[in-house]
Amino acid sequence: MKQSTNEMIKRIRFHGRGGQGMKTASRIVGTASFLEGFFVQDSPLYGAERRGAPMVAFTRLSKEPILERGIIVSPDINMIADETLLNDQTANVFQGTWEGTVTIVNTHYPASHVRNVYGIVGEIVTLDITEIALNVIGESVLSSTAAAVVCKLTGMITESSLEEAVTRELSSINLKKELVEKNVQAALTCFDRIPETHPHYFESIKEDKKDEIVRLEYADPCLGSPSVYAKGTTKLKKTGNWRLFKPVIDHEKCSRCYTCFVYCPHSCISIDEEGYPQIDYDNCKGCLICFCECPKKVISKDREVRTW
Amino acid sequence: MVKEMLTGNSAAAWGARLSEVDYVPAFPITPQTEIIETLSQWINDGVMNAKFTNMDSEHSMITAAGTAAATGARVFSATSSQGLLYGYEMLYNVTGWRVPLVLINVSRGLSAPITLEPDHNDILSARDTGFVQIHAATCQEILDTILMAYRIAEDKRVLLPVLINMDGFYLSFTREPVEIPDKEEVSKFLPEYNPKHAFFKASNPMSQGVAVLGGSVYSYFKYQVHLASLNVLTVHDEVAGDFKRIFGRSYSAIESFKMDDADYVIIMTNSFTIKGKAAVTKFRKNGLKAGLLRLRLIRPFPSKELRTLLNGKKAVAVIDQNISPGSGGILFNDITTALYHEPDRPEVILSFIGGLGGKDISHAEFNHIIEEMGKSMKTGVVPETQLLYTKGDLEQINNLLNIAGKTSGGLGGIEELKD
Ligand code: SF4
Ligand code: SF4
Repeated sequence: MKQSTNEMIKRIRFHGRGGQGMKTASRIVGTASFLEGFFVQDSPLYGAERRGAPMVAFTRLSKEPILERGIIVSPDINMIADETLLNDQTANVFQGTWEGTVTIVNTHYPASHVRNVYGIVGEIVTLDITEIALNVIGESVLSSTAAAVVCKLTGMITESSLEEAVTRELSSINLKKELVEKNVQAALTCFDRIPETHPHYFESIKEDKKDEIVRLEYADPCLGSPSVYAKGTTKLKKTGNWRLFKPVIDHEKCSRCYTCFVYCPHSCISIDEEGYPQIDYDNCKGCLICFCECPKKVISKDREVRTW
Repeated sequence: MVKEMLTGNSAAAWGARLSEVDYVPAFPITPQTEIIETLSQWINDGVMNAKFTNMDSEHSMITAAGTAAATGARVFSATSSQGLLYGYEMLYNVTGWRVPLVLINVSRGLSAPITLEPDHNDILSARDTGFVQIHAATCQEILDTILMAYRIAEDKRVLLPVLINMDGFYLSFTREPVEIPDKEEVSKFLPEYNPKHAFFKASNPMSQGVAVLGGSVYSYFKYQVHLASLNVLTVHDEVAGDFKRIFGRSYSAIESFKMDDADYVIIMTNSFTIKGKAAVTKFRKNGLKAGLLRLRLIRPFPSKELRTLLNGKKAVAVIDQNISPGSGGILFNDITTALYHEPDRPEVILSFIGGLGGKDISHAEFNHIIEEMGKSMKTGVVPETQLLYTKGDLEQINNLLNIAGKTSGGLGGIEELKD
């Protein structure tokens, strides 16, 4: 059950792909909250991955000193900046969401549709911020638009703080003035598109989950040492969802020279019975080395759209 | 003074910049690299007047740092985890030379298995080197502690290097509001370093770092390091007093949280203390007289202050975010040693290990600690060191062991683990 609380903290989680700007989004919201005079924390969670791989970032803002650090398991606001992550088991974008969570999905679908397909609990808001970014900024970098939506949904951040925060954060990463201005414009557009909300706080259900303390016993070294006996476990870690662009081979024109096969750093290209190269899209990371190296230039790159 | 959102790493870089250091020898390692990147950028841009040198390893880096300090330069450097261990030999040399410098360690669990998140086996491995050790819990504290550390290190009652610790990720990559003091204010607090005992001047040659053969000579100098370290207890408080006067923020060797009238005390260090504070706040709401101490100064160990804070308390639980295999928690030993002769010491002192490799310490775990304290008070039986590990954690490891092929007969004894 949703229960009101006087604990005045907003926990915000951002889901996106490396390179989409979610770290910067978390920082814009952080700086805007800071400018409003709140206690603030923001932090990204880096894995060993790179551009295109699912990533998370966090912002906390509060009227009182924050007695938390690290990852946010149960967000009050959950920003999903890439709709393809909804389907991604490993990204686990709904972790810890509950009736008090406001989830935002960057999509052109209406909120009701997303709710029906994914059975999302709590409130849901949708807005196609990619389209706004493309129209206003000319690139699908989502830092300022995602931040703007979140700022509005907190009900605690003014337009002027958002504007100042976008300017500060983007200037600090050496973005050109002109581009910063376009980002501000895109942010303000998003800010306007989200209806006014009043801040409300609900008791988080997180604490109610009881966990038991267990006692570890000595284990046979076959268990108790960090070795892996199973073979080929690398296959379990699918890296196909890191791709922003997909290499596509035109087999009609391919000369079967195997240059791509040799160069693929992830061994994602195999040779079929007829001698043609085939790409394993479950694991191809989209580095596009094959695209660059093909001497015949018969590999094209397609924008990755994972429809759902 | 300006207030800005800074990561722990940027706060560290600001500390070095405001201390007007002369020399920064550097070698990159995650999660510390942002510190030296920031400094190298500032030096390149001309906003900071210092010499920056990329070294070939941490061993060379600490050697360069120590030798530069021996010429009378003010030196700053930063490392993390394996890097600190790689330069380990030189830590003893630098303290033996009695030269001041400030070195940051960004905590990260030691390999193997390799990881990125923090615990304190890295920094505590330097416990006996003679470095003064201060562990920070917020981004502001990192900046402030660097300024204080130069005052302490360069005091002629001390003349020892200082290691400052911050947790990887939880501080290093986390931004929070930090006050950046004005240069003028800092110069009121931290004067120029002007060594009388170890410097470089062509007209005044001296030999430093000389060899000694014979135990009596060796003992003399080693014990001087110990006495110098003990002097920090006094010097730290003086420096903290000056710091408070000029900047308004106060730091003590041990931070107290809700300690007045507390019966149950939890002792922690570094950034995870915030989780302890949240737990204590919750316990207080439920009417339990809980309190928390955060050990900030680790070397020298503030035994006297600890006794004053703990005498008369009912139960104490120490959470060591480190492990000395075959012994238990490292700080637990220091704490119990400090209290042994006190007639009014707490009735029970319990030892827990938690947060290894950055594992969360959840409220369930703090609940367990309080329950165990209560049980020990009632029965008078104090349990051996316990690892804070939950059923959820066990499920996760079991799942991974499965994937690693450790379940199906032959190799593994998974059945034992399952029950
Ligand atoms: S894009 Fe990279 S990973 Fe994918 S097939 Fe080409 S070379 Fe291999
Ligand atoms: S490099 Fe190009 S031409 Fe050669 S096998 Fe690959 S796709 Fe075919």
